[in-house]
Amino acid sequence: MKRLIKTVKSFTLWELFQGLFVTGRAFFGKKITIQYPEEETPISPRFRGMLALRRYPNGEERCIACKLCEAVCPAAAITIESEEREDGSRRTTKYEIDAFKCINCGFCEEACPVDSIVLTPEMHYHIENRGDNILTKEKLLAIGDLYEERLAADRAADEKYR
Amino acid sequence: MTEAVTIAPETQAEIDRWLKKYPTDRKQSAVLQALMFVQRDNGGWLSEAHLNAIADYLELPRIAVYEVATFYDMYDLKPVGKNKIDVCTNISCKLCGCDKIVSHLEKRLGIKIGETTSDGRYTLKGVECLAACVGAPMMQINDLEYHEKLTPEKVDAILDRLEKEGDK
Amino acid sequence: MFTIEINGKSVEANDGQMVIDAADAAGIYIPRFCYHKKLSVAANCRMCLVEVEKMGKPVPACATPAVSGMKVFTQSQKALDAQKAVMEFLLINHPLDCPICDQGGECELQDLALCYGEDVGRYTEGKRAVADEDIGPLVATEMTRCIHCTRCVRFGTEIAGFRELGMTGRGEKSRIGTYVKHFMQSEVSGNIIDLCPVGALTSKPYRFTARAWEMSQHRSIAPHDCLGSNIYVHTRGYEYSDFREVMRVIPRENESINETWLSDRDRFSYEGLHKDHRLTGPMIRKEGKWLQVDWPTALNFAANKLRDIINSKKPDQLAAIASPSSTLEELYLLQKIVRDLGSNNIDHRLHQSDFSQQENAPLFPGMSTELASIDSMDAILLVGSDIRREQPLAGLRVRKACLNGATIMRIGSIDHDVNFKLSENVHTTPSTLVESLQAVVDSLTSDANKSSIAKHLKNSEKSLIILGDEAQSHSQATLVRALCLEIAKLSNAKIAIMTLGANSAGAWIAGAVPHRKAAGENSSAVGLNAQTMFSQPRAAYILLNVEPEHDLIHSSTAIAALMAADFVMSLSPYMSPVHADLADVLLPIAPFTETDGTFVNVEGKWQSFNAVSPPYGEVRPGWKVLRVFGNLLELNGYDYICASEVRNELEKLLQHSNVPTDRTSLEKNTSNKPKGFEILYEWPAVCVDNVSRRANALQSILMPLQRTVSISSETAKDLGIQSEQLITLKQSDREITVPARIDARIPNTCVLVPKGVSLTSGFGDGFAEITVQRGESHA
Repeated sequence: MKRLIKTVKSFTLWELFQGLFVTGRAFFGKKITIQYPEEETPISPRFRGMLALRRYPNGEERCIACKLCEAVCPAAAITIESEEREDGSRRTTKYEIDAFKCINCGFCEEACPVDSIVLTPEMHYHIENRGDNILTKEKLLAIGDLYEERLAADRAADEKYR
Repeated sequence: MTEAVTIAPETQAEIDRWLKKYPTDRKQSAVLQALMFVQRDNGGWLSEAHLNAIADYLELPRIAVYEVATFYDMYDLKPVGKNKIDVCTNISCKLCGCDKIVSHLEKRLGIKIGETTSDGRYTLKGVECLAACVGAPMMQINDLEYHEKLTPEKVDAILDRLEKEGDK
Repeated sequence: MFTIEINGKSVEANDGQMVIDAADAAGIYIPRFCYHKKLSVAANCRMCLVEVEKMGKPVPACATPAVSGMKVFTQSQKALDAQKAVMEFLLINHPLDCPICDQGGECELQDLALCYGEDVGRYTEGKRAVADEDIGPLVATEMTRCIHCTRCVRFGTEIAGFRELGMTGRGEKSRIGTYVKHFMQSEVSGNIIDLCPVGALTSKPYRFTARAWEMSQHRSIAPHDCLGSNIYVHTRGYEYSDFREVMRVIPRENESINETWLSDRDRFSYEGLHKDHRLTGPMIRKEGKWLQVDWPTALNFAANKLRDIINSKKPDQLAAIASPSSTLEELYLLQKIVRDLGSNNIDHRLHQSDFSQQENAPLFPGMSTELASIDSMDAILLVGSDIRREQPLAGLRVRKACLNGATIMRIGSIDHDVNFKLSENVHTTPSTLVESLQAVVDSLTSDANKSSIAKHLKNSEKSLIILGDEAQSHSQATLVRALCLEIAKLSNAKIAIMTLGANSAGAWIAGAVPHRKAAGENSSAVGLNAQTMFSQPRAAYILLNVEPEHDLIHSSTAIAALMAADFVMSLSPYMSPVHADLADVLLPIAPFTETDGTFVNVEGKWQSFNAVSPPYGEVRPGWKVLRVFGNLLELNGYDYICASEVRNELEKLLQHSNVPTDRTSLEKNTSNKPKGFEILYEWPAVCVDNVSRRANALQSILMPLQRTVSISSETAKDLGIQSEQLITLKQSDREITVPARIDARIPNTCVLVPKGVSLTSGFGDGFAEITVQRGESHA
């Protein structure tokens, strides 16, 4: 009996059609492939990509130079120099992240008491010149400005889990 | 800079009388009385210059006098009105409803606690315990009279009396 | 001595000892904020509540005397509950601003909140905020953070003698402050930064620049006074990089020297080490222009020049002058080079004018007792000493002695304000100082007509005579010293000569004096001293850490001699404008934080220290520079590998030498009172050496008093001027016109010239005749 079934299946190309059925289902079904890089998959609000420094809505930089990120960074990628600003507040004079050293662990974001240093969802970045790997305070703030809306939305979305 | 003031000779004599009660190297002991006397002479309040004068007279560091003067409620460091109303706002009086008395006084005098009326007749102060918890809520008028178990009506009667006395 | 039981462990305790002391001695930690072993007990923070058997309520361990058989529980449920409750109250009004607080990471409240605090606060009402006060350029305030432990108030009252801080107000409104805005003027105010258990009082120069966990801690020795206070230097940055920087200095406990304190000068002088002020590499002058060169070039240039001069002229055409704040190793090598080249002209006594009987001096001028014994003296006589500013921590000890009941007396020309009670204060002029001392001697020798100073000294079991800078820089310094020795002998007193700089004793031992070789060995030929080496100009000079315009009492002669010299070589971390004018080679040597070295303090205690950071740029430690220089000069015996070898060589010499004893004899020399004005010099506390002169925050506390020349009110009347008006001082062809200030500290017909400040840069020629006139322009 077994033998008979096997013979019939092989003559009717049963397995081929079985395979084609899968192909057909995928062919006519909903498409899940995306056209990267033109298209992108949605990413989690917790995605840890490029680093940035955020500002308050009034334009004031958030960072208060507490250096907790510098202390917690396992790769020692962050360098901070600070002093008293003219108005008496504590601010950084230098805030640099070496992107080569950074392992995107997100500890800095976790340590930050003022939500200043954050990891943006941005993953496409490259450098062209040696030295560009050092993200200076200006660069980081500019990245923060660029992504502020998204960063604020992500943090709001993740609020209750934090 | 504050202008220097001198302590009147009679007051000095009064302070000296108190100084005699304490060992000669403990002049600080007389600071409470000294403050009292000088405040009385100055119409109920003490300026920084007065505090300095007392400190110099008792040979104390100035801060030692400031500490005492700012601690006790009976010393006023701003000019006060003709009638000083000290309402106790400490725990016993609070539990027995001094808030009601305070708000009534504030409404009637048109000032907040710690202020003086614009006509300079009344100063309203919230003070710490005046040791009359048994009659809470209570208040003290002009460092002399105690009024206990106060109600808004009782307060009105007292103020009416003060007003009448003031008109004389 | 009896035993008590703490947490089931039996612990020894003394009568009257508090439980917290006994626990500390046994290594059992009880949390505390207001308690400090050097201050009185306040028991107002309540953090140290512990349970004691048979006592109903928890009791504060800091204010509960230990009693025999007592059973204390520091970690019982009752104790812990009490401590947690106290912590909750303390945190009610404490702001949650640890990320921006300089104390963050080294904060007692932060640490204890971690152990005893709850993770969620129950307090929802508004927090208290307190306005800050500006109490000067050294201490930053953030009074909202204050927890009212009153350590700062007690330090001011009990230790430093400034009763400026206090707690005003009551209950929630109480605050620590000065009530009226007031700058703290104390020479030890920085200690309240260490005492503050929270971030209410922090260091202003250090403000916001670093975090506690970034720094490494190094042991070192303070370089500004003869006590040799023990310090920790905190540095930040990679270990072997130029970026490693000194961030701050804090005291290291040493009961026999500085206890737990540190003077402001030692604490804040590190600012002077900052790169901005420093030379980065060796420089030589070629055709009037300064060129930055490498070390071989600079050293060869200097060696050739020096050799030429010595060969063409005589070796005694070379003279060297060194700062007494240089290390023992530097001083030893410098004198070795000078002597090996055939000259004896070396000195470190920058403030001295009277060098007579120098051959009778002891191995080094210092103390015949220990520093700590000052506390227990019964009588102290200060001779020409502003001990409060010259040696602030010795000043604290004098104050402590005074509080213990000692009689403090003073003879001196400047009526310095003091923070202790002066029982006798003899205000002399420089010329009558000797007479006043003679009067004390006279009344000690003859029973009749006893001066009260003599009486006090004689009647005291333990007494001490302290000689300050004025006594040592006096025009008859040897006579002053001999008289003091005589008084000491007659009244059985000890003597303490509070020398200039950190290492005067070391300089004597190292042989940086013209009449003695290293280890006190007499030199066959006596060289020129700090005065004569300039009044008899030499062809070549070596300056070690010396800025002739500020450091020398004979500035004007010295500058003239240096200008005329063929060759001047300066070893210093800095280049001053005067260096630029007169030097030919500048060799940048490392300051105390960047070199290994040894300071010998006034007691004769040798204290070595290591470099805390690598030398900045091309700077090299002084002993290495001198070692190589010795080799380049083709001298023998300069093959040291490390600084300790130099030290060991000197120590060995000392073992085999006949240590000279003090044989200063009382030689009455006729004192001729100068006609006209007498000159008094004062080096303000923050201008004593090249490092402190560059420390910005310290400089900004320079009192207006020291930005002017001081005269007495009667002198001013005679001259017809008022305060702040200009006067012209003329001495040995040099003339300056400077603002004068009427100063009650100054005797008549005297003029007080502050040295070490730009006002009088290059002025001063010892005690040569001075004329004082009204200045040109009147505002």
